Amino acid sequence: MTEHPVNRRWSMRQRDWAVVFWIAFLSAAAGSFVLFGLVNPLDMVNAWADQYDIGVRLAYGLIFAFLYLLCLLACSLTMFMIRTGPARGHVTGEGRRSIPKVRDPSKSNPDLDGENWK
Amino acid sequence: MNQKHDAGDSLYRKDPKVYPRDVKGTFASLRKLAVVVLLGLYYILPWINWGGNQSVLFDLPARKFYIFGLTFWPQDFIFLTLMLIIAGLSLFFVTAVAGRLWCGYACPQTVWTEVFLWMERWVEGDRNKRNKLDASPWNRNKIIRKTSKQVLWISFALWTGFTFVGFFTPIRELGHSIITFQLGNWETFWLLFYSFATYGNAGILREQVCKYMCPYARFQSAMFDKDTLVIAYDEKRGEPRGGRRKSDNPSEKGLGDCIGCTLCVQVCPTGIDIREGLQIECIACAACIDVCDQVMDKMDYKKGLISYTTEHRLGGNESHVFRPRIFVYAFLLLALVAGVLWSVNHRVLLRADLLRDRNALYRELADDRIENVYTLKLINMDSVLHNYQIEIVGHDDMVLFISPEPVLEPEEVGNFILRMQAPASLGRGSVEVDVRFSTMEEPFIERTVSTRFLMPFD
Repeated sequence: MTEHPVNRRWSMRQRDWAVVFWIAFLSAAAGSFVLFGLVNPLDMVNAWADQYDIGVRLAYGLIFAFLYLLCLLACSLTMFMIRTGPARGHVTGEGRRSIPKVRDPSKSNPDLDGENWK
Repeated sequence: MNQKHDAGDSLYRKDPKVYPRDVKGTFASLRKLAVVVLLGLYYILPWINWGGNQSVLFDLPARKFYIFGLTFWPQDFIFLTLMLIIAGLSLFFVTAVAGRLWCGYACPQTVWTEVFLWMERWVEGDRNKRNKLDASPWNRNKIIRKTSKQVLWISFALWTGFTFVGFFTPIRELGHSIITFQLGNWETFWLLFYSFATYGNAGILREQVCKYMCPYARFQSAMFDKDTLVIAYDEKRGEPRGGRRKSDNPSEKGLGDCIGCTLCVQVCPTGIDIREGLQIECIACAACIDVCDQVMDKMDYKKGLISYTTEHRLGGNESHVFRPRIFVYAFLLLALVAGVLWSVNHRVLLRADLLRDRNALYRELADDRIENVYTLKLINMDSVLHNYQIEIVGHDDMVLFISPEPVLEPEEVGNFILRMQAPASLGRGSVEVDVRFSTMEEPFIERTVSTRFLMPFD
């Protein structure tokens, strides 16, 4: 009996991670195009690691890897904030705690002088 | 619990503005102390000079960071990385021991919000007066108070932005350029941007930042265990809550120790009710502990209805401060701090880079000697002038010539031409040569650089 394709679908978490990796890659690629259009990658690498003899290809690769890492961090954190953030309906008050009721402390407690509570 | 009714007919539930009531007590004093110390450091440090430079200055154009007399160069970038790791690990350690201590006492959001609240309270009065002022129609009093508050907030935010830029541009020069209207475009942008961020976060958004924007609030629970300090309401002791006279016997009236005064809610800067249990919105500022202890005192009850406690203690079990994760964090932290301190103390304050001249591999001289030419880049990372000695290690028959004289002023970068000569009998092809750089003034400033000396290949 053949397995139904639906059973091989990715879970929500897997899809989220796939999106994170892909969007981070696209962002790093776009960032690299802009960056390398403006500056010579060898100048950048030489500024920070001129004691190593880094060739131009490695310089391109290292800077892209650095950008990809940064984008991955940003995307992962964004995913985390969305996943752990308010659920649907939050804005209308659904699933939220009620707004705490406050009252004059001395109203039901005559021995408390409400105004002196600093 | 479904709270749709709170929204009424609207599709949006608007939460009331949080105007925390002023509170005094042990933890409030600690919080004030933290504000004074942390913001004091922030506002005063740029004005203090240390070793001829601003005590803390991140000079980006010159690519030098001055921190308490030490100069860090781009090559010291590893220290910045290590400092960030130490900061992260410290956060883990403190959170595992004492919960959200960072949020309640040291987070810039908390600290600046506290100052903005002081100003608001000073101009508009305490919680009740502010609520009344908000509800009142716009009149002369309201316009004056609200405008005064905004003027104070904006002035303070601008001063904060100015100080922020003062960590990157020498603050005295910055002040002078503002007075003489010669402030550069970038300085203007960052001054206004940081001022706006301070005003927006600490004045307008306040607790919304902690509730919706802060990632630390979301993942701090991963560092919690049942022995982590949290602020909790003792439900067993407090419930059922209800009003009473001081002379009443609570047990006769079927009441717990909570008198339902709601002061714990009124002092909360995030506007939550701690009696509903531990909530993500609680920043552990302990204002509710202070006010509840005062109420308990007034009612002649035992303090600690709301207290710093642990989940274990609340459940009647023994709580442990020293546990494996604390030891692991502490050990890693100590090792890293010790490592960074040792490395900073043992930094060699000299950089030397030898680059071969690419025009010619080697030159055959008339006296049967071979010469290689290099470009030498020397960086004096020290704060005093140095006269450098340069020698070839292990090859007595080789000589070197350098021009100009290798003398560098403090923090100067110099480029020199270095010529090395060796007898043709030294070998064939490529020979590895070590060149040692040292100073006469400081024996520990010494660096050896390896390079290749090229000879004829045939």
